[in-house]
Amino acid sequence: MTNASIAFTTAVPTATELEPRAAKLSARNLAFHYGDFCALKDINLEVPEKRVTSLIGPSGCGKSTLLRVFNRIYSIYPGQRASGEVILEGENILDPKYPLNKLRSKIGMVFQKPVPFPMSIHDNIAYGISHYERLSKADMAVRVEGALRQSALWDEVKDKLKQNALGLSGGQQQRLCIARAVALKPDVILFDEPTSALDPIATGKIEQLIAELKQHFTILIVTHNMQQAARCSDYTAFMYLGELVEHGVTSTIFTKPTKQQTEDYITGRFG
Amino acid sequence: MATVAERLFLRRRIVNGLSLVLSGLAALFGLFWLVWILWTTFTKGVDAMSLSLFTEMTPPPGQDTGGLLNAMAGSLMISGLAVLMGAPIGIAAGTYLAEYVNHRKLGEVIRFVNDILLSAPSIVLGLFVYTVVVRTTGGFSGYAGSIALAFIVLPVVVRTTDEMLRLVPIQMREAALSLGVPQWKVTVQILYRAAAPGIITGVLLALARISGETAPLLFTAFNNQYWSTDMTGAVANLPVTIFQFALSPFAYWNKLAWAGAFIITVFVLLVSVTARYILLRKKMSHD
Repeated sequence: MTNASIAFTTAVPTATELEPRAAKLSARNLAFHYGDFCALKDINLEVPEKRVTSLIGPSGCGKSTLLRVFNRIYSIYPGQRASGEVILEGENILDPKYPLNKLRSKIGMVFQKPVPFPMSIHDNIAYGISHYERLSKADMAVRVEGALRQSALWDEVKDKLKQNALGLSGGQQQRLCIARAVALKPDVILFDEPTSALDPIATGKIEQLIAELKQHFTILIVTHNMQQAARCSDYTAFMYLGELVEHGVTSTIFTKPTKQQTEDYITGRFG
Repeated sequence: MATVAERLFLRRRIVNGLSLVLSGLAALFGLFWLVWILWTTFTKGVDAMSLSLFTEMTPPPGQDTGGLLNAMAGSLMISGLAVLMGAPIGIAAGTYLAEYVNHRKLGEVIRFVNDILLSAPSIVLGLFVYTVVVRTTGGFSGYAGSIALAFIVLPVVVRTTDEMLRLVPIQMREAALSLGVPQWKVTVQILYRAAAPGIITGVLLALARISGETAPLLFTAFNNQYWSTDMTGAVANLPVTIFQFALSPFAYWNKLAWAGAFIITVFVLLVSVTARYILLRKKMSHD
């Protein structure tokens, strides 16, 4: 694959067009260990507000690990620990005193494999909301509809909200998972290879959706697919062997990378 | 002259044919006894079927009328209470194993001990409850019978709950936790729902398993010739009645024993089919 084969859509602005935004989320001197194995070394990354930032790199480079630090989902596994700081709105979310409840209402996550809960489509969305708010049935219906509309799923499911979510197609299930995250009105949404289990048409819909969601949310997406990073992200961070090699505006990273490793990876010499 | 490859191929075909014949015969041998047992139970049981089985009490020796009503009612009470005691504790313990100490030493130890309890001879459990409950409370009781059977229910339910919860993909837990929902709520509201068909199946299979158990009841609930719903005293039940009636010299008692055996077999069959059906429906809803 060569640089020329990566098609840029008009949706992705170039460095000069991209208006700079303040960082919503910043990792500072972040390190991560699985037991004795050091998976992330001294990561410093600024994630600009209401932009799409993608994390790319070969398998095992630590991109998913980095994503999983941002909402501390790793903390359910013994032996996994992060050190350093991740700053969200002036507070260090890695501080054990930072409440998980609050963190996860501010930073939502969408996983590789769509995992609807074994309940109705409506309840899948309402479940998370009812954990934070007491809403009347009517208000809840409005919130559920809003989340489903934002996730471009409403028209397909509006007549079967009471049906089991497991009956939806893979692509629909993944949009339902996005709606579930969106429904909590988070500031940041993390996507961990959200399309790797989907067919090209469903992938296209999710990418389109991500482009729309960035108007309201700060988005961080891990992807294996370089074209996907080029298509739908404003900023790209290239990681290799647990280190952040290069980070910048997507069009620059893909056309004029400053590091040799980045160029080797995006031109397909390894990875 | 056959080539080496042809000779090797011939050899493989002979070995293959021989294995097929031997394993087929072994299967037939096993099935033969099973079919014979079921056939005998079925024919003798159907012969003994009558309405009075379900309306009359167990008769005294020598009498040519009577039924199994008190024994059936007693069995339902004892087994029902055993499931009510064993299943909740088993589900809680299985949840602890799968959700809290999975992959830890403690979890492995508990699983191992549970497997020992699972394969413990039921007569040992009966003797244990006889010593601990019957001897200390001063007599046979339906409660003691239920406790003994609950010890059989417990490990079955622990194991199925543990296994069914571990089958729920880890991503389901992560997805729910990433919404900020606390772990206990994720377990109760999401994971139980996902694992429900499997857990219910486990409880039903435990019920099927205990409905024919005789040894634990012999030392605990004992038996009762009369109608009694008093669980603090000896309570009639099908397995011990069958045991007593089958060994007796009275023809009518023998006949009732066959009827009882048939009724238990049909009950176990129905429970097993229900369990299968629940699992099958779950499978189909996932495809």
